[in-house]
Order: sequence, then structure tokens, then C-alpha cells
Amino acid sequence: MLVLRRKIGQVICINDDIRIIIQDVQNEHIVRIGIEAPPEIPVHRLEIYNLIQQENKSAGGAEALKWLKGATNDSSTGDSEDHE
Amino acid sequence: MIAAQATRKIMNEAEAAPDGQSDDAFYFPQGMAGFSEARDFGFIYQGHGDIVCIQSIDHPEAAFLMTQWDEQRLGKTPILSADQCNCIQASSQEDIMWMVVLNPFIDPQWVTANLKAPVALNPKARTGIQCIRQEAELDLRYHWMRQPA
Repeated sequence: MLVLRRKIGQVICINDDIRIIIQDVQNEHIVRIGIEAPPEIPVHRLEIYNLIQQENKSAGGAEALKWLKGATNDSSTGDSEDHE
Repeated sequence: MIAAQATRKIMNEAEAAPDGQSDDAFYFPQGMAGFSEARDFGFIYQGHGDIVCIQSIDHPEAAFLMTQWDEQRLGKTPILSADQCNCIQASSQEDIMWMVVLNPFIDPQWVTANLKAPVALNPKARTGIQCIRQEAELDLRYHWMRQPA
């Protein structure tokens, strides 16, 4: 891992089109950073992105279409039922 | 209402195709989380109900079940940021049709819906983006419907 020391206001660049700007350091523990990246580059907090990745992987795949084919043979598909 | 019509249009197009798959792919510039290489998705509609399957054309392992966001149950649709709108070439929020990703594999009793990461489609530009939301209170596995018998 590359480790850099930067001061507030200084910038790290990744490739030609990604800029990471150190904006603020609060209480010596929380760092606010700004990120400029092209719209096709997703930028997320890692812990939330990991959660969504895992959920997508458990929801997706070849089984999805098989499930839909099976479910559409059953008249209950499309009947919404909210128990919350 | 616009969204409902757009969903129907997508479904009708898919239904009209011989193999049940719409001819025109939707382009996801960011892919889907965990499947970032998958960018072009076709819609597959299996005949009835309000669930569609989107499947990557180049990476068929990336396939998801989705259904339209239901405002009566879930409240108002999310709002896309300006950057996200730009990403899918949406000039206004009204261009966007919101879908939720369904997971029928995680709970034996329920098909769940991921409210933390709904999908915004722009039917005009045929683009889409999975919108990851930061709000802690949103359900990752909202009980959407009972499993079919």
C-alpha cells in the first residue's frame, strides 16, 4: 500500500481524472476528504459498498432467471404482501 | 404514472421479442455493485406478474430480479444527485424510473427487496445506475412478498 502524508488542502491524484482533496481533520481522528472522479467511477464508503456487493451476489446469478421462470408458473407472483 | 408506463413499455418490448428479451440493452456506466464489469443489461420478462430479470449481456452471471418502486409501500422515490443524473443522462428526476432489486434466495419465507441500493433507470437514454444510499434505517432485506408456493 502506498502511504502519503498530506496537509489540509493538499491533493492526491490518481490517474488523470481522479483527485482526492484533504479538507479537514477533526479531533485528530476524523478526516474529511473530497473526491473528484468521473461519473462512471463509483465512490462509496467501503463498509456499505461491501454490504451491497454481498447482497447483490446473493440475489443475482443464473438462478435468478430460473426462479422467475418457476415463480411465474405460480399465481402468487406479483401479489404484494407487507407484514411490516 | 410515467414510471409505471415506462415499466410496461420495457416489459412489452421484452414480451414482443421471441426469446422474451428486449432488443435494446440498458447501459449501466458503473455496472452493479460486485459486478462492475457488467455494463450492458437486457431485460427479460417471463410473461406475467410485475417482476423482471435484468441480465448482463457480456457477463451472464450478473442477473437480477427487479420490480418497480412502490410509493404506497415504500414512500417517495429516492432523489438522484446531480452527478448521478449526469451519469445516466437524466435531465430531471422525472426521467427516472425506480426499481428495487429482489432477493428470493436469502429467506425461505420471503422474497426480500434491497432498499439500500435501488436502481434508477432512464428509459429515454436506456441507462441505469444502482444508487447506494447511506441512510442507516433503510432495509437491506425488506420483506417484499411471500415466496411462491
